[in-house]
Amino acid sequence: MNLSVALIRRMSVSTRIFLRVNAVRASGLVKRFETTCAVDHVDLELGEGEVRGLLGPNGAGKTTLLRLLFGLLHADEGSVELFDRPLGGPDSLLPDGVAGFVEDPSFYPYLSGRVNLELLAELDGTSGATRVIDDALERVGLADRGHDRVSGYSTGMRQRLGIAAALLRSPRLLMLDEPTAGLDPAGVRDINALVRTLSRDGVAVLLSSHQIGEVDEVCDSFTVLRRGRVVWEGTAAELRSEAPAAAYRILTSDDETVLGIAGDRTGVHAEPSSDLGLKLTIDDGELDPFVLAVGAAGIAIRRLELLVSPLESMFFSLTEDGPGRDTTPEATA
Amino acid sequence: MNNVFRTERRKLTAQLSTRILALVIVTGPFLFAAVLKFQSGVPGDTLLGVWVHSSGFAISLVVLSFAGQWGFPIIAGVLAGDLFSSEDRYGTWKMILTRSQRRRDVFAGKVLAAAAFSLALLLLATISSLVAGLVFTGAQPLVGLNGMLLSAGDCLLFVLIAWIVSLLPLLAFTSIAVLFSVATRNGILGVLGPLLVALAMQLLALIGKGGIVHVLLVGSAFDDWHGLLTSQRFYGPLIEGSLVSVVWIAACLGGAWLILRRRDFAGTPVPRRPGWATAVRVVAVSAAVIAVLGVATNWGPVTITAQRLQRAFTPTFTNLTLLQQRQLGRAVPRGAKLNILTTCQRRAASNVGPGDDWTCTLTVLIPQAGANPFNPTPVTYDMSVKSNGCYKAEAPPAFVGNQLMRDAHGQEVVNPLYTIYGCFDTS
Repeated sequence: MNLSVALIRRMSVSTRIFLRVNAVRASGLVKRFETTCAVDHVDLELGEGEVRGLLGPNGAGKTTLLRLLFGLLHADEGSVELFDRPLGGPDSLLPDGVAGFVEDPSFYPYLSGRVNLELLAELDGTSGATRVIDDALERVGLADRGHDRVSGYSTGMRQRLGIAAALLRSPRLLMLDEPTAGLDPAGVRDINALVRTLSRDGVAVLLSSHQIGEVDEVCDSFTVLRRGRVVWEGTAAELRSEAPAAAYRILTSDDETVLGIAGDRTGVHAEPSSDLGLKLTIDDGELDPFVLAVGAAGIAIRRLELLVSPLESMFFSLTEDGPGRDTTPEATA
Repeated sequence: MNNVFRTERRKLTAQLSTRILALVIVTGPFLFAAVLKFQSGVPGDTLLGVWVHSSGFAISLVVLSFAGQWGFPIIAGVLAGDLFSSEDRYGTWKMILTRSQRRRDVFAGKVLAAAAFSLALLLLATISSLVAGLVFTGAQPLVGLNGMLLSAGDCLLFVLIAWIVSLLPLLAFTSIAVLFSVATRNGILGVLGPLLVALAMQLLALIGKGGIVHVLLVGSAFDDWHGLLTSQRFYGPLIEGSLVSVVWIAACLGGAWLILRRRDFAGTPVPRRPGWATAVRVVAVSAAVIAVLGVATNWGPVTITAQRLQRAFTPTFTNLTLLQQRQLGRAVPRGAKLNILTTCQRRAASNVGPGDDWTCTLTVLIPQAGANPFNPTPVTYDMSVKSNGCYKAEAPPAFVGNQLMRDAHGQEVVNPLYTIYGCFDTS
């Protein structure tokens, strides 16, 4: 760990806020591929210790944006600053502490996971790499598989190894492209816990995902992309406050009576589901009173399952094609 | 750059292809020498090939000649042809370029690793071929390229120098492989590219009579040690070949760097169905380049002429005749010379340029008593002359005897006049 990172981590949170440095500041980024504009005038700011979810469906421009931030692509327009230092041309050096991966992390399949990490540590000039590598493998749960060839790793193991590779750089800014892709639920939980820990240490994290359900618990803020443009940006609280009602499916012993109970209550809408039971659209805070009312009417609830969370509803409304979806200033003007 | 070099060294060492290559280089010359040991045939088409049973140094030089044609381009292709494209295949560019290394460091480190491994394999080939020759045949003197017998000490020195001066053209082919690897992003093309270039250069060396294109053929630079293996050494081709190698290295590495520097790493490209237009374009461009180069081989000063060939072949034949006489046990006075009139010509229209259709007729004037003081005895050799000034001459056994003869001690030895190798300065 270099001196500046160590100093920053020893500061209190309030001091860090006072000395706030933008980990990422991207202004007016544009990247075109032939006739496609993959990134269209994107602005992005990310402070230290902030965890930002970069959301969007496949093809929204998330990976291209990350490649621009890593300097793997040359922007047609706009600029990128990492820790207030402009990212130069194609031959520029990525600042210390900037780590992560784009698309799926890739390694030399004929070498072991540990040797792959050793090579990457060598490229970073990391001293005492053995201990650092041991620590990184331990943190991602690959300590006992480090000597296996990468060719025998599952997708999830490669994903974990990619995160270990990022940790070798003592990150101050971590940019991860779909880090939970291919991971089992326990793996998703572990990665989210790791991100939270790093964030508490002042590491800025940019998490790209097309599944809001996997990152909503860990993110402080979100940037939503659609067709290369930012269509929504704000904190997690703002996103939740703007989110529409959640949708559930409910199976009961008397659907007809439940329809009547729902009709009598505000913020609750029920209709017969196309497959089985009822589809229930219900505002935040109305679910528990509704369930109690159904129970008080002597009706058994046999199953209650979440179909679409409020954040997912919001995500779909922002990113799916349809009239009035584009909320950018130009589109709404 | 040092860090990149170290990582590339580890990767190259771990690769199966590098290990197989090193194994072939170590064992190949021993297998070759062992096969020669147990059979009477010789690789007569290769320079000094008829001497492989007579001197172990010839084995090393024959291996070097083969390496110059195919071995070095293969080494360059295997080492450097996949050096950059493998990062595309494994998708690891994004992992490398998001560490603490500039692109220029990555490029320089990789090139340096390829150069270091090229040097290491060259040294390995030098040692293995030399040891194989000395173990299986021995450290006997070798007949040089102008018919003079070279001592074992001289041979050892020349063999070592001959291998070492091959380093620059080897690095030139390594640079060609780097360019293929960076430009095509395809490991197969990267490995095969240097071989195709070597083949094209060998074909171009066979045609045309001008010196410009022939000088620029870096494949021919592997033969430039020939000038050292004569009693009157010439260094012109060696200097020219070294300069040409440096030009190739600079051009290929410069081109590769420009491509890599400007490159966008935008992920795995969507494979496109190759259309007819692309194929037609590639064929048209290749045909145009070949046609231009074919015509260009006639540009520049003529390097292979009948006069040069006559001047080189006459003393070589004289030296070999005297050597033969000594081997047969006949007394040859010190400083003895033959009176020879030599006429070289091609069956083709003009008596210039490389080709297999040269003939040289040597009329040996043997002194005799009587009114006519000389008995003219003509010997005609079929000559194969290369653009680098090296030739191979063969005569029918009726004139010069069989390939093997019995020396004064009754031992079977190579008849030095049966197949004659020589080289002259074309610079």
